[in-house]
Amino acid sequence: MKFIRKIINWARIKSPWILHFNSGACNACDIEIVAALTPLYDVERFGVQLKGTPRHADVLVCSGPVTKQIQDRLKRIYDQMPEPKFVVAVGACACGGGVFKGCYNVRGGIDEVIPVSAYIPGCPAGPKAIIDGVVKLLASLEETEKPSVPGAKKQDKTEDDAGTAKQADPGDAP
Amino acid sequence: MSYEEDIRQDTIRQFDFLKDSFKVIRPRRLSAEVARDRFSEVFDFLVHREKFNTLCTITGTDEGDDLGFIYHLAREGGITLNLKTRAPKADPVIRTITAVFPGAEIYEREIVDLFGARVEGLRKGSRYPLTDDWPADEHPLRKDWKSEENK
Repeated sequence: MKFIRKIINWARIKSPWILHFNSGACNACDIEIVAALTPLYDVERFGVQLKGTPRHADVLVCSGPVTKQIQDRLKRIYDQMPEPKFVVAVGACACGGGVFKGCYNVRGGIDEVIPVSAYIPGCPAGPKAIIDGVVKLLASLEETEKPSVPGAKKQDKTEDDAGTAKQADPGDAP
Repeated sequence: MSYEEDIRQDTIRQFDFLKDSFKVIRPRRLSAEVARDRFSEVFDFLVHREKFNTLCTITGTDEGDDLGFIYHLAREGGITLNLKTRAPKADPVIRTITAVFPGAEIYEREIVDLFGARVEGLRKGSRYPLTDDWPADEHPLRKDWKSEENK
């Protein structure tokens, strides 16, 4: 079973399919996310592919603050994704509401509605920051599986030092 | 005489109480203010006789004791007219214009939700743009409204 888990985790890390969701962003972060997908930055070298449906996606890439009208829809899309699933909050608004915090139509950051695995700050977050965040998320998956595999080579990747991406325990995703 | 001035003269001939408030601000920009009880007839005259056949939007304003409603009308030749009317906050009722401009429904619903006006004759429907669980007595674009965090 350990072997199968190892295979599954390896496959998961090599091809994280993403779903891009705008929960009320001004479009700047969306442009940067799309830019990160283009051949210039080329996230596909990490196996990242944009998918059209939450049922095919492993990672939900959210941009923008969560508006009160969209929070139920965001929750529903999150529920439609198969386990295990991860959420990346892109941009200052997605991380905590940003300039829209306190608006009558805004609930706040993404983590008010669904659990978030990685936060990428920036207004807008640039493609390099987004790629860095996604790679750190993938690296952290690798690390969590490491101890269960005996004889595996130790990676000398350090835990991120309060920088671009913050890592929550991926095991606590419901 | 310019085209704008023609429109102004035509309107004043019909409604002499508009003499002071109907202004040509600059070429192709007109503004007028009309009392609430005469609004419908002035509006109908401008739309049907003066051919202001496009409604750009309706703006709501909070002016202390009154609510202001600005109807931005436009017509051929790039001429726009800001037709303003007011209603006291104690009795914030205006007539709907959806009989003339069916698309005005969403503007009127915005005014209902965000300013707390009442629009007579507006058909029943779901609320817009606020969420369904929004308290009925809170109107976020009024000056005295405060968000949860700022209370």
